[in-house]
Amino acid sequence: MTRQFLRRLAALLPVALGVVTLTFALIHLVPGDPVSAMLGDYAAPADVAQMRHDLKLDLPLWKQYGGFLAALAHGDLGQSISQREPVALLIREHYPATLELAGAGLAVAIMIALPLGIIAGADAGGPGDIAAMGFAILGISVPHIYLGPLLMILFSLDLGWLPLTGRGGFAHLVLPAVTMGTALAAILARMLRQSLVRIGSADYIRTARSKGLSERAALLRHGLRNALTPVITLIGLEAGGLLTGSIVTEMIFSWPGLGRLLMTAINNRDYPLVQGCVLTFALSYVVVNLITDLFYRAVDPRIRLG
Amino acid sequence: MAHGNRESADIVTWAKAIAYAAIVCLFALSGCAKPAPLASPGYLQIDLPTAPTAIDPRVTADAISSRVAELIYDSLVRIDRTGAFAGDLAESFERPTPTEMVFHLRRNVRFSDGRPFTARDVKFTYESILDPATLSIKRAGLVELAAVTIVDDYTLTMTTRRPFAPALALATIGIVPRDSSIPGKAASPAPPGTGPFRLARFARDEAVILARNPYHQSLANAVPGLALKVVPDPTVRALELSEGICGFAENDALQAELLPYLAAQPHLRIVRSPGSTYHYLVFNFRDVRLRDLRVRRAIAYAIDRDTIVASMIRGNARVATGVLAPENWAYDGNVTQYPYDPAMARGLLEAAGYSAHARPLRLTYMTTPEGLRLAEVIQAMLRRVGIKIDIHTNEWATFYSDLRNGNFDIASSQWVGIGDPHQYYEIFDSHMTPAAGGNNRGDYSNPRMDQLVEAGDATIDPVVRCAIYRDVQRLSAADLPYVSLWWDDNVAAFDRRLTGFEPYPNGSLLSLAAAVFPTENRLVRTAP
Amino acid sequence: MIRRNPSLAIGAVLVALLTLAAIFGPLVMHTDPFAIDLSHVLAAPSRSHWFGCDSLGRDLLARLIRGARLSLGVSTMVVALSLAIGGLIGGAAALAGGWVDGLVMRGVDIIMAFPGFLLAIALAAILGPGMVDLVIALTAMGWTGYARLVRGEVLSLREREYIEGARALGARPARLLMRHLMPALAGPVAVQATFGIGGIIIAEAALSFLGLGARPPTPSWGNMLDAGRAFILVAPHLTTAPGIAIGLSVLGFNLLGDGLAQFIGHRR
Repeated sequence: MTRQFLRRLAALLPVALGVVTLTFALIHLVPGDPVSAMLGDYAAPADVAQMRHDLKLDLPLWKQYGGFLAALAHGDLGQSISQREPVALLIREHYPATLELAGAGLAVAIMIALPLGIIAGADAGGPGDIAAMGFAILGISVPHIYLGPLLMILFSLDLGWLPLTGRGGFAHLVLPAVTMGTALAAILARMLRQSLVRIGSADYIRTARSKGLSERAALLRHGLRNALTPVITLIGLEAGGLLTGSIVTEMIFSWPGLGRLLMTAINNRDYPLVQGCVLTFALSYVVVNLITDLFYRAVDPRIRLG
Repeated sequence: MAHGNRESADIVTWAKAIAYAAIVCLFALSGCAKPAPLASPGYLQIDLPTAPTAIDPRVTADAISSRVAELIYDSLVRIDRTGAFAGDLAESFERPTPTEMVFHLRRNVRFSDGRPFTARDVKFTYESILDPATLSIKRAGLVELAAVTIVDDYTLTMTTRRPFAPALALATIGIVPRDSSIPGKAASPAPPGTGPFRLARFARDEAVILARNPYHQSLANAVPGLALKVVPDPTVRALELSEGICGFAENDALQAELLPYLAAQPHLRIVRSPGSTYHYLVFNFRDVRLRDLRVRRAIAYAIDRDTIVASMIRGNARVATGVLAPENWAYDGNVTQYPYDPAMARGLLEAAGYSAHARPLRLTYMTTPEGLRLAEVIQAMLRRVGIKIDIHTNEWATFYSDLRNGNFDIASSQWVGIGDPHQYYEIFDSHMTPAAGGNNRGDYSNPRMDQLVEAGDATIDPVVRCAIYRDVQRLSAADLPYVSLWWDDNVAAFDRRLTGFEPYPNGSLLSLAAAVFPTENRLVRTAP
Repeated sequence: MIRRNPSLAIGAVLVALLTLAAIFGPLVMHTDPFAIDLSHVLAAPSRSHWFGCDSLGRDLLARLIRGARLSLGVSTMVVALSLAIGGLIGGAAALAGGWVDGLVMRGVDIIMAFPGFLLAIALAAILGPGMVDLVIALTAMGWTGYARLVRGEVLSLREREYIEGARALGARPARLLMRHLMPALAGPVAVQATFGIGGIIIAEAALSFLGLGARPPTPSWGNMLDAGRAFILVAPHLTTAPGIAIGLSVLGFNLLGDGLAQFIGHRR
């Protein structure tokens, strides 16, 4: 187990390297460059050339890539072109906010999905199922970009219960977390229900039922564990997605997170900052998945780590 | 596989554990969130649509950053309402020779850290910008500047390389104290300034908090500070205004379609004033069809600008006649006009032999919801007269790269904050092509235009200069390198109890320094 | 059939109706979805415009019906492609195991950890705007989810007793796959796929922002939803109409997927 865990940990390296390389290739491939984005309308060609030289953007791509990797190996993410601050500092400023938001979103999703999925799964075809799945479908059909303002109008403008935007205490976290978590809750609840229904017809549940347990009790006591396996896979997948997909929620709720930083960086073609942000996202994503795999193993010990 | 009782108990525990973990996670996270309020009570909150990238006036580039920097830093001169130059840190200035400007500086001015302001600070600021290590965007703008010379502590001269009429624009850069570190290399995000406010906190992508500069004279009951908060979503900005969280927002921060909603809020006031932001379509003269004046005129006649302004922009703009707005000292509106006339457009196209089956023209737009709507309307209007349009819409960096490289047939863009008519040289002189790094993006070339705009730059006498630009405005309206669309109005929405706000054509917030905003009995609903 | 499997029946009917509306709706509907009428900007629903008008005064119902083709077409195509690619790769990785599995999954990790936004900008720049690159962009981002799901399921299933039993009895891998793995996989995969369709319709709106996808003035539910977003406070019908359309299709595909899973399960 420990050896496998270490092996997985070592596998982070190639993934991070792959992501960084892909990012480097794509960001240099797309039109637009940081110097003209930064110098603006009235830049003289000589200044553009000078700045490209100063930023080492006039070197061949492979040399730039080599330089970037060499710096990275020393733990240096470089200097942001547009914001003139070390990339590492900017990431340190923005990352906790994104982590907080994604964590809260995931918590909300799980808190909604577990009861909903169990109600629906235990009562497949019944009114509970229809109600729970109706909610799930509503949840998946309403995009963040619409749900966010809707929640704001209801809970902040009309009821005055919660603050509109910004990062602060618990109250500030509720609306963005619900906005982020609802769609995921719908997916998870749906998956849990499906899983429970499928397992309901499995042999050992039938056996348990024949031993005198009521159908629901049999399902919940014996089936839930197996039903959770695909749900946890999905949580792992989507938790990574929550991190990288936080951008819309961050925009709506004026949340000073990494998603917005990356968006601005891409807009300004701020190469070092883009690479730094993507690397952070990628590492978080891989770590989340590693945790999921460990979780997975705890639920279903027969599964070996991949 | 055995599923005994012990295991079934495990399962229930499992489900519980996950639920508990989720709850604990949520609380732990909310616990580590910092509940520090953004600003002290009494501060006026202003919502901004995008985040300022820098505060230091030596490197600020984008409109929002400059808007914020202006509140902290004074410059030698400022551009006034008419686009003319007025003294700021310079009490007075004169131009003894065509290449020389003398500035007499105000005395008893102090930076927000208490240091007195002298001519040495000015010289330092300019040298710092010209230092390649600063990597300043403003260095290119100083290409005409030959020298900054200190005469005494309160007198300074600037010389230009050639007689350059708009040379005073060189003196509009915010002044920092001598020995300020290079931007990005200092511990603080910005050095002190002599303006009405000082930087109290710069929370990137979140807010800029400005407190009063203790060494700057202000009214006793003026706002104690400003909290400039970054709120990217337009609907949310409207909600913040209507909840009373935000006390002031203007222009880019307000979406035209949401103004009726804001106007219906009893505690808000909407103030409209003429603005100078100029929207236009630029033609690419590399396209054979667009090189034909008849085709360009047909396009100008085919676009119903009055209806667009009235219905889509909800009257928050004026149909434009040229780059310079009517408030500008060099403005002349007596130029060829293109009222909506589809029949005339069709006639012109027929005369030009424009084929309805030709390759569609590419209309390049930056993707914003408003931009896209306008593109679709213009597409429909041009289709009506027989011109097919393909809309190319891209995110900012791709759009800007296409625009700068002349990679479009027709592009829609705007000029923001145009003061001096020197702009005409930048955009219409045949030497300023994209290949030369200039802003004549459509490769427009007319020897008469070159002659005029070059003369305009070399003529110091304002009366003669004004006459030259009258000709420039007439020629550009007749020759149509651009189709003028409209000038945006300045629109501000703010709390009714805020007094003292004076709109500027370029959207400056400076008048808020003298604004009064009572903090007691605020209408704000308190959020828990 | 309807009594035994109502999900399948209702889902199939809904999807069929939507498909019919997408194919024949524009032929029956006489209102021009492209006719701009600036005197009807943001008009509320009325007798002449059942769903109201958009920010350019165009009839929302006509645009909704016209947009169905694109939204439903693109989303089903993307989901089908993603499922095929992801399912094959994920399933193969799980069955092969060992270093192949490790390698494939690290590749999947790389793509999943990569911000889709950047990939979309790059694709828009390389391929130019259009529908093909929209499908490519969405598939490139979408297949990995299915790969991981299928892999996880196969890994867990192949240890189950009935599969082990079948293997012990000497069943060939192909037979094992067809008889036992496929039916067991159908449920979770159908869930993700049917939900995925809704996600794709919405994602299409985000990509049209980058110049990918439906070229204006062509309507799609995604870009209608996006265009209406700014008007939530003043004209909510702009977002509600496409929202309902998306909801209905998600519901339809969802029930269909559910029913199919049940159907396959029973056959087993």
